[in-house]
Amino acid sequence: MEKSGVTLEASAESKRQPHVDNELRRPPLVANERSLSWITDKVSNIVEAPTPKWWLLALCFTVPIALMGLACIIYQISNGVGVWGENHPNGWAWDITNFVFWIGIGHAGTLISAVLFLTRQKWRTSINRAAEAMTLFAVVCAGIFPAIHIGRFWNAYFLAPVPNANGIWPNFRSPLLWDVFAVSTYFTVSVLFWFVGLIPDLATLRDRAKSKIGQFLYGIFALGWRGSNRHWRHYEMAYLLLAGLSTPLVLSVHSIVSFDFATSIMPGWHTTIFPPYFVAGAIFGGFAMVLTIMLPAARIFPQINDLITRQHVDKMAKIILLTGSIVGYAYLMELFVAWYGANKFEGFTFFRARAAFNGEGWYQWAYWIMMFCNVISPQIFWFKKMRTNYIVVFIVSQFVNIGMWFERFTIIVTSLAQDFLPSSWGHYSPSLTEKLTFIGTFGIFLTLFLLFMRFLPMIAISEVKLVTPEADPHHGHPKH
Amino acid sequence: MSKRIFQHPEESQTGKRYWRSLGQLQDTPEFRGWLQREFPQGASELEGGDVSRRNFIQLMGASVALAGLSLSACRRPLKNLVPFTRGVEWSVPGKALFFTSAMPARGGAIPLVVTTFDGRPTKIEGNPMHPVSKGATDIWAQSSVLDLYDPQRSKGYLLDGKPSSADAFQKALAGILSAAGDGSSLAFLVDGVQSPTRERLRKAVLAKFPQAKWASYEPNGNDLELEAAAVAFGAGHEIAPKLEGADVVLTVDRDILGVEGDLASVRAFASRRKVENSADAKAKMNRLYVVENRYTLTGGMSDHRMRLAASRAGTFLKLLAAEIAALSGDSSLGKIASELKVPEKLGGKDAAKETSWVKECAVDLWSRKGKSVVLVGQRQPVAVQLLGLAINSALGAIGQTLIVRKTDTVPALGIGALAEELRKGKTATLFVLGGNPVFNAPSDVKWTDAQSAAKTVIHLAMEVNETSAKATWHVPAAHYLEQWGDARASDGSYLVVQPMIMPLYNGVSEIELLAKIAGVESDPLALVQKTFVEISGVTADSGAVWANVLKQGSLEKSASKPVEAAVSVEAISKKVSESPAIRVGDKDFELVFITDSKLDDGRYANNGWLQELPDPITKLTWDNAALISPATAKALSLETGDVVKIIAGDKSLEVAVLELPGHADDSISIAVGYGRSEVGSVGRQVGVDVYPLISSESKRFRTGVTIQKTGRQYALAITQEHGALEGRGADITRQATVEEWSKNAEKANPDYFKKMGIDAHAPENFSLYTHPALDDVHAWGMAVDLNTCIGCSACMIACQAENNIPIVGKEQVINGREMHWMRMDRYFASEAGSESEPEMVSQPMMCQHCENAPCETVCPVNATVHSEDGLNVMAYNRCIGTRYCANNCPFKVRRFNFFDYNERSLTSLYKWNLLSEKGMAESSKMQKNPNVTVRMRGVMEKCTFCVQRIQEAKIAAKVHARDSEAATKPQVPADVFTSACAQVCPTEAITFGDLKNPASKVAKLKESQRGYRLLEYLNTSNRVWYLARIRNPNPKMPDASRAGSASRDAHGSHAHDPANGHSGGHQ
Repeated sequence: MEKSGVTLEASAESKRQPHVDNELRRPPLVANERSLSWITDKVSNIVEAPTPKWWLLALCFTVPIALMGLACIIYQISNGVGVWGENHPNGWAWDITNFVFWIGIGHAGTLISAVLFLTRQKWRTSINRAAEAMTLFAVVCAGIFPAIHIGRFWNAYFLAPVPNANGIWPNFRSPLLWDVFAVSTYFTVSVLFWFVGLIPDLATLRDRAKSKIGQFLYGIFALGWRGSNRHWRHYEMAYLLLAGLSTPLVLSVHSIVSFDFATSIMPGWHTTIFPPYFVAGAIFGGFAMVLTIMLPAARIFPQINDLITRQHVDKMAKIILLTGSIVGYAYLMELFVAWYGANKFEGFTFFRARAAFNGEGWYQWAYWIMMFCNVISPQIFWFKKMRTNYIVVFIVSQFVNIGMWFERFTIIVTSLAQDFLPSSWGHYSPSLTEKLTFIGTFGIFLTLFLLFMRFLPMIAISEVKLVTPEADPHHGHPKH
Repeated sequence: MSKRIFQHPEESQTGKRYWRSLGQLQDTPEFRGWLQREFPQGASELEGGDVSRRNFIQLMGASVALAGLSLSACRRPLKNLVPFTRGVEWSVPGKALFFTSAMPARGGAIPLVVTTFDGRPTKIEGNPMHPVSKGATDIWAQSSVLDLYDPQRSKGYLLDGKPSSADAFQKALAGILSAAGDGSSLAFLVDGVQSPTRERLRKAVLAKFPQAKWASYEPNGNDLELEAAAVAFGAGHEIAPKLEGADVVLTVDRDILGVEGDLASVRAFASRRKVENSADAKAKMNRLYVVENRYTLTGGMSDHRMRLAASRAGTFLKLLAAEIAALSGDSSLGKIASELKVPEKLGGKDAAKETSWVKECAVDLWSRKGKSVVLVGQRQPVAVQLLGLAINSALGAIGQTLIVRKTDTVPALGIGALAEELRKGKTATLFVLGGNPVFNAPSDVKWTDAQSAAKTVIHLAMEVNETSAKATWHVPAAHYLEQWGDARASDGSYLVVQPMIMPLYNGVSEIELLAKIAGVESDPLALVQKTFVEISGVTADSGAVWANVLKQGSLEKSASKPVEAAVSVEAISKKVSESPAIRVGDKDFELVFITDSKLDDGRYANNGWLQELPDPITKLTWDNAALISPATAKALSLETGDVVKIIAGDKSLEVAVLELPGHADDSISIAVGYGRSEVGSVGRQVGVDVYPLISSESKRFRTGVTIQKTGRQYALAITQEHGALEGRGADITRQATVEEWSKNAEKANPDYFKKMGIDAHAPENFSLYTHPALDDVHAWGMAVDLNTCIGCSACMIACQAENNIPIVGKEQVINGREMHWMRMDRYFASEAGSESEPEMVSQPMMCQHCENAPCETVCPVNATVHSEDGLNVMAYNRCIGTRYCANNCPFKVRRFNFFDYNERSLTSLYKWNLLSEKGMAESSKMQKNPNVTVRMRGVMEKCTFCVQRIQEAKIAAKVHARDSEAATKPQVPADVFTSACAQVCPTEAITFGDLKNPASKVAKLKESQRGYRLLEYLNTSNRVWYLARIRNPNPKMPDASRAGSASRDAHGSHAHDPANGHSGGHQ
C-alpha cells in the first residue's frame, strides 16, 4: 500500500509539471508521501490503542494539581479575596495577570483554525485540532480567574443583562462587561468551531470503534455523519461561516481585554497602543504554548512526525519572531510616548517604576524579565537552524510563556502599586493560596489536554487528507 | 425568595390557643369556605392543606439548593427588626436623641454632645455651645464610645482574680472601713483626671479618716509644669497659653498642637492661620518656630524648625535667654540663664547656622514683645521650664500670651512617696481608683512590691489590667457615659458628666465608691448636684439652673479667670541654681519617652480604633517603635523594621526601629503605653513596654543610652509606605509663602495656585460626552484648608465611628487593607542638600466625589453611580467586588472588604469559613450607627460625604416645607449640618456643605484664590477643593529659603511664571 502510494505519487509528480523544473516547489505538508488510510490509521490508533502507562502516570500528576487548585478556589470563595495578596492599591494582581495570560494563550488555536483557514494556509491542518483544544482549555482556565476574583462570587450573575424587577442593568460603559461578552462569545464560537471540525473524525472513530460504549458515544457526537455529499457541502459551509465568525473574534477578544486597561486613567494602563499590542502578544504567547504542547506530543507519538514536520515548527517559529518583534516595538513605543508626552505621572510609571535600574520602582526585575523573554529571546529565530531545532524552539517557547506572564504582571502591578499619590503606594506580593491557584490551573489545563489526547483525534484526519496530493482535484493533471 | 418569617417564639401547643373569631376557634366548614372566598390564593396553605404547587416548588427549590454545593450557605443571612412593644419616652424610631455630657480627661475634660439611638450612645460630638470644644473633639473622645461597648470590659467583681459579687465586696468594704479608725491604715491612689465632686469627696474621706494617705499619679501629666508654675508664681497656680494673641510662637520640645495641648490651644493657633486673602495673610498669620527632637504635629505646622535632642532644649533656651537678655537689657534673665547647668553648645554640625537661628528667632520674638510666647515642653526639667517662664516674663508674655490661673487642685503625694509609705507596712488597705500603676509606675518605685505590702488592694477600673491582676479586689468601673459626674474643662469651666445608658456591666463610678468610703449619701446624681450647688452658689431655684446646665452642658461663667501674677525672679533663680545639671552624652544617645498619640499611657490599649489609627507622624499602627533619624540609621546600618537592643543603665529592651525624617541624630524616641500584658485581646502582644526603662529621675527622657543591632527583623504595620512627594508637590500639596502669595495676589495672578505642577501645562479640559445634568437643588462639596489642618487625625476616628468602619488588625494593615474611608496623607519634602531637615505636610484624603468619576464608568454592574446632588454613591447590595473602581481611582480612596471583618474575629480571618466562629459581640452591635449599613465581605466602600446626614437634613427640610410651594424641591438651609469629619475638626480645616447655596461656607471657600482641585488635568471634576498651605517664614532665618519646598516640583519652581511663554493651558 505504502509502496504503491509512493510510486503513484512519483509518477504523478513527473507527469504534472514537466516544463517547470526550475520552479521552487513547496515541500509536501505530509512527509514521506503517506497515503490517506495511513493517516486515518495512525491518528485513530492514538485513541484506539490500549491506555499507555505514561498517560496514567501523567494523569496521576496533573489531577492532584488540578484538585489542589480547586481546593484553593473553594477556600478563597469561602473566606474572601483576602486570602490572596491583593490590597489597596493593588486591587488586581495575579488574578487578572493569570486571566490575561491564559486568555492570550487561547488565541493561537482559533487563529490557526480560522484565520489561517481563510487565508488558505494549508499547513495549519495538522496542528489546528490540538491548538483549538488548547485554546478551549486555556479559555476555561482564563475564565476561572475573573469569576473567582470578585468579592461576591454568588452574585456574579449581576453581570448578565437579565431583565429584573429592579430595572437595574449592567453598566454597558464598563470594559469589564465587554470582557464578559467578548470572552463568553469567543468561548462559545470556539467550542462550536472545534466541534464542527471534529464531526467527520468522530464518525471515523465511530466506524472504527470496537467497544459498544465507543460506538455509542462517538456515534452520538458524530451527529449521524455519513460522509455524503450533502453532509460535506453543509459541513464545509458551516466550517467556513464559523471561520468567518471566529476571525474577528480573535482580534476582538484581546482588544477588549486590553480595554480593561486602555480605557482607564491609570498611568501605564491608559495607552492607546494596547489593542494591537495585546493581540500581537496573545498570538505570540499562544503559539509558544502550542509549541510547548506539540513538541512533546510529537516526541511521544513518533507516528505523527510525518504530519507535524519541521516545516510546521519552522512556520510557527517565524510567527513567534514576527509577533515578538511587534510586541517589542510596542514596548519601545510606550517608552517613546511616555517621554514625548512629558506627563510626569506617565513618565514615572514607565521610566522610574518599570524600566529604570535605579531602584525607584519596585518591580524592575519583572520588566526586564519581560523584555528579555519577549523581545530578545525570539530574535534567535532569525536563523533557520534555530527555528528547526526542536530543543531551541522549546526553550524559547518557555521564555515566551514566562515573558508573556510577566508582561501582564508588569502592566497590572507596577501601574497600580505606584500611581498618582505617593501616599497610597503599596507593595504587593502573592500569597501561597494565590500561587497554588495559578499552579492549579496548569493542572486543570494539562488534565483536560491529556483527556483530549486520549479520547479524541488530536489531528484533524479529514483536513489533513485534504492537503495530501490525492485530495487535489487536479491530482495528476497540470494546473490551470 | 422565601417569605419573611419573624423570629417570634412559637406558640405553645399546651398553653392557651388564641383565635381571631369564633369561626376560627370552631374551625367550621363555613369558616373554611369563607377563607377560601376571602383569600382564594393562599387559603389552603394557611390552613395546612395538601402539598400545593407553591409548597412543592419551594421544597424542590430547597432540595436542589441543598443538594448542590450547599450554596445556601453563601446567602446573606436574613435578619428582622422587631419594634418595641411599648413606646419609649421621646424615642422616635430611627431618630437620634442628643444629650450634653463631658469626657473627663487629664488636662481638662472635653464638653460633649452625645448622639443616642434608642438609648444607645453611638457617636460623640463636641459641644458646640462650649468655647473649648465648639463642636470639636479629639481622637480619644471620638473613640471612647468603643470602650463603652468593649466586649472585653470588666464585667464583674473579682476577689483574688476569681469572680465574686457586689454584695461580697460591700461586706468586705464595710469590714475594712469599720476597722479603719483614724484611717492610718488606708491609702488612696487616684489618677490625674480632675473632678470637683471627687475633690469634695476626697475632703469628706479625709475628714472621716484624717490619717489616710492620698496620692495621685499620672505618667504623662503636667506635674513638672505645675511645679515650675508653683515656683514662679506661688503654689496653686497654673499656666495656659493664649495663642490667639501670639504673633510669634516658639515651642521648645513642646507638642502644643498634639499630645501636649488641648482643643482650645489648637483652635487658638488655627485662628491665626485662617486667612481669606493675601492681604489677610500678611496681616494675620502668626509665625511658629519649633525646636524638637522628633517631628510632631506642631513641627509639621512650623515655619522654622530646628531638630534638637530633648536633652539639649535647656541649652537652646539658655542661648535664647542670653540673646533676649541682650536685646531687653534684662540682667536678671541673663543671670538665671547663666545659672542653668547645661552644655554650652547645641552640638550640631553647623554651629554658625545654629547661632544665627537662635539669634534671629530671639530678634523676632523680641520684636513682637507682648505678642510672642515661648512654650517649653512638659517633659523638660523644672529648671528648664523656669527659664522658659523667665524668658516669657522678659518678653512680656505673662498675662498676654501666657496666662496664669488659680487652680483648686490640692497637692497630693507622688507615687514614689506612697510606695515608701506602703513599704513601712502600716497600710492595710490600698484603694487604687483608676490608673494602672503596676504597669506604668517608674521602675525604681518598685510599685508591685510596694502594693503587695498592703493587705488588701482594691482596684477600680474599667478593664482587668495589670494592677487588677495584682489586686485583692477588682471593682468594675462605670464608663463615663454610664455615670453621673462632673469635671472641669481646660479653661476651668464646670461641666456635668451625664449618663447616656445604664451601666452595662453594673460598674460603679469613682465618686460612688468614694461616697461609700466617706459614709455619705452615695447616689451619684445627688453627689454631683450637691457639688454643683456649692460651685454655682445658686440657692433658689437650683432645679431650673441645673436643668439649664444639663441643656448647655456646662455652667455659665464658671471658667477660671486669669490672675495678675509676676514671676518671682528670686525663686526661679534659687531653684535653677539648685537644680542638678542636665547631662548630654557625646557618644551615646538620649532616649525620649513620648506620650503615645493614640494609647496615651497605655490606657486605650484595648481600643481597636485607636490601635489601628495611624500615628499622625509615623503612620505606624498596632505598635510602638524606636524612632531614629535616617542619618542615625545609616550610621548604625539599620533600616525600618530592624530590631535593636536599647540599653539604658542596667535595663534594656528590644524594639524595632523606624526611620523618621527630621528626627534629631543623637536621639531616640519611643512611645510609652505599649506592651500591655493584662488587657483584652485587642491590646495584647502589641508593641514593647518601655516603662521598665523609666525611673523617677528620668521620667520623660534619659541620656547615656546605647543601641545595638540584633540582626532580627520585625514587621511594622505602617499605613503609608512612601512619604516622599517624588516631585509631585506642586500637583498634590500646593503651597506658597506669604511673600510669594503677596506677589501673586488675587488681582495680579488669580490662577496662581490653580496653575501649578502639571496643571500649568495641561490643555483646557473638555469632554467628548454630554454628562447627565447634576440638577438637584443641592450640590454637595467640601473644602479642605491645608493651612489650618494640623494632621491630628480626629477626622479619621470620627469617620470610623459615624460610618461603622471595621478594624482589620495588624496583619491586614501590613497587607495594606486598612478600611479607613479617609486617611491623613503625610509627606516629607526637602530640597537637595537639606534632606535631614525636611518639611512636613499633612493632607486629609477622602473620596473626591468626582463629577466625572473614573470609578463609575468602569463598574460592570452599576454598583457605583452618581446622584443628582453630586454624590458618588455606592450600592453595596449591587456590588460584586471586581475592585475595578478602586484600581481606576486616582486618589485610591476606595476600600474593599477583603474579609468579613464584621463577622469574623481578627485572628480567624484565614481559618476556613465553615469552621470558624462568626458573628459580632452583642455589645459591639450596639455601637453601630443604625443609619449606616454594616458592610459584608466582598463589597467596596468609601467616603459617602455622610450621605445619611444629608438624607436626614433633606427629610427635615421636606417636613419643614410640608405644604408650602417649596415642598416639591425643598432646599436644606446653608450649613445646618455637616459631615462627621468636618464636625470633629478642631481647626475647622474641613468644611462641608452645599456648593449651590451661595450662603454656605463651602461655596465661599471654593472661590478662594488658594483653592485647587487635585489632578485637575484628569478632568475628573472633583467636588473637594484643597486650599493651599501658606508658610510664613522669617526671611532673616538661615533656613528661610526652604519654606514651601514641599510644593516645588523637580525643577524647583512653584508654578510657571505666566510671562515665560509656556504657562500652558490655553491652546
